[in-house]
Amino acid sequence: MASKLYDERAQKIKDTVNFKNESVTTCFMGQAAPAAHMGVKMKDFALNPDIMIKMTLDYINEINAITSVDCLNTGVNGMRSDHSLPMAWLSKVKMPGIELPDDSLWQVVETSIFKPEDYDVIIEQGFDTVFNRIFPQLVNMKEFQESIAYQEENGQKNVELFINNDFPSVNSGVASPPFEVLCGGRSMSQFFMDCYKIPDKIEKAIEVMLPGSIHSMLASVNPVSGSGAWVGGWRGASALVSPKIWNRLVWPGMKAMGLALIENNDIATFHLDQCWDRDIERFLEIPEKKSIINTDGMTDLRKARKILGEHVAIMGDVPAPLLATGTTQEVKDYVTKLIDDIGPKGLFVTAGCDAPANTKFENMVAMFQAANDWK
Amino acid sequence: MAKISELLANLEMDELMEVVQKELAAGTDPIGILKECEAGMVKVGEMFSSGDYFVSDLMMSGEMFKEVGEMLAPYLDGKTGDILAKVVLGTVEGDIHDIGKDLVYVMLKSGGFEVIDVGVDAKPEVFVKALKESGAPILALSCLLTTAYDSISNTVKAVEEAGLRDRVKIIIGGGPTDESVVRYTGADAFGDDAQSAVRLCKEML
Repeated sequence: MASKLYDERAQKIKDTVNFKNESVTTCFMGQAAPAAHMGVKMKDFALNPDIMIKMTLDYINEINAITSVDCLNTGVNGMRSDHSLPMAWLSKVKMPGIELPDDSLWQVVETSIFKPEDYDVIIEQGFDTVFNRIFPQLVNMKEFQESIAYQEENGQKNVELFINNDFPSVNSGVASPPFEVLCGGRSMSQFFMDCYKIPDKIEKAIEVMLPGSIHSMLASVNPVSGSGAWVGGWRGASALVSPKIWNRLVWPGMKAMGLALIENNDIATFHLDQCWDRDIERFLEIPEKKSIINTDGMTDLRKARKILGEHVAIMGDVPAPLLATGTTQEVKDYVTKLIDDIGPKGLFVTAGCDAPANTKFENMVAMFQAANDWK
Repeated sequence: MAKISELLANLEMDELMEVVQKELAAGTDPIGILKECEAGMVKVGEMFSSGDYFVSDLMMSGEMFKEVGEMLAPYLDGKTGDILAKVVLGTVEGDIHDIGKDLVYVMLKSGGFEVIDVGVDAKPEVFVKALKESGAPILALSCLLTTAYDSISNTVKAVEEAGLRDRVKIIIGGGPTDESVVRYTGADAFGDDAQSAVRLCKEML
C-alpha cells in the first residue's frame, strides 16, 4: 500500500500538469547516471536489470536523503537498451561488454536496414510484416525473449519497489511516432532524402502505421507506475526538418498520439530533443493542462512559456554539459534563473533530455536543491 | 550556368541533374559546373544561417552536391576546384556517431575545403597521424556523448605532444558541445551546426 508521502507526490504530478502545484516539482531522469557514482561497471548496469533497478533506486534515495526528489520522469523497469530502443527506432544498439568496452555507454548504430521498397510493403501489407522481418536482425531474439520473461516475472515487483520508496513516475510508457520509427530504420540521411523525393509514399505509410502505434502506446501505459507516456520527438525536431516535412509528416502523428493519451485520461509527455522554437505554438492544439513538453536545454523555455502560458506544463531542462562539467554553483544559478523566468507553476525541474552517464553527483543534488530552495 | 546554383539552392534535384547533364553534353567546363554548385551550397548555407533552411535542407543539398560530383567525376580527370585548406575530421574515441560528422564533411567539402575523414571512434594517434601526413592546419572533432569529452581532451593533448599544436587549430562540434566544453577540453572553438563549422574553418585560415 502506498504511503501518504507517495500519494502526495503522485498528486503533485497531477497538480503540476494542471498548474495547481504550490512549489516546483523535482523530477529524476538519468538512465545511465547512477552507474559510475554507485561504483558499478556500465556493462553490469546496462545488462543486468536487477543491478540497474537497485543502483538507480539507491542513487535516487541518496539524493532524496539530501533534498527531495518528488518523482521520476519514466519508470525504471531494467529493460536493456538493445532490446527496448530497436522497437522504437528500428536501429541496432551496441552495448558495453558486448560490442563496446565495459565502461562505455550504449550507442545506437546508424544503418539503413529499412529499404525503399519497405514503404510499399507497409502500405500494402501493414507495418508488422516489415517489423517482423527487421527486428530479428537488430536484436538477439533469445536474449530478447529472456528480457520479456524477466518483465513478466518481475515487472510488478519492481514497480512496487519504487512505490514503497515513495517515488511515483510521471510516465510508464515510451512511444515512438511513425516518423521516428521510419527515420531510425532507414537512417537519418536516407530518410530525410526520402522525405523530399517520395513524401506521398511516406505519408501513406505513416497513416497505415499510426493506429498500431497508438494501440501499442496505450497498452504500454501502466497507471500503477505512471499514468502517462512519452511521445518522442527526436529526429522530427523543428531544428532538423523543414516546415514542409514537419507539418505533413511529423506533427500529425505526434498530435494524434498525444490526443489519444489524453482521451485515455493519461498525461501526454512530448519528449523533445533539439530545438522546437519554430513550432512551439503548435502545442496549443493539444487540450489545455493535459500535457507536458520535456525539453533538453535547446528549446527556448522563456519563449515557450510566453507563447504557451498555462496551456502546457514544462519539464526541463538542465543541459547535459552543465551536469557533466559545470560547478554546483553554475547548476544552481541555471535552475534558479529558469524558475525566476518561467515561474514554478506547471514546472518539473529535471535534466535536459537525460542526465548523462558522467553527471557529477553533486550537480544532480544541486539541481534539485536549487528547485526545492526556490522562493 | 547561374541556373545550376539556383537549382541547387532551391533543392530542385531532378531539374539540377538534367541541367548538369545537358551542360556536360554541350562541352561546358566541368570545373565551372563544380564552382556553380559550390556557389549554390554557399546560398544554402546562408539560408540555413538566416533560419530559412533546416538540417534536412542541408542534407538534401549535400546529397545533390554529392550526386553532381559523381556525375562530373569522369569529366574532371582528377582535377579539382580551388582548395581553401585541408581539414582533418572525425568522431573521437569511444563515440560511434557519424550523422553530424558526415554532414560537416559535405558542408566543408562544398565550402572549398579538402577533408580527410578518419571516421568514428578514432583514437588520438589516428588524428595525429592524419594531421602529420596531410599538413592540415585545422582539426575538427565531433562527439555526441558527454562521456567523450575526455577523448577530446586526450586528442588535444596528443596534438600538443606531437608538437603540432602551434600550427593546428582545433574545433569541436556535436550535440553536447558548447563554450564550457571548449574550456574543459582545451580546444579552440565550437560550432553548433554544420554551417558554423564552415564559418569557423574560414575564420581560422
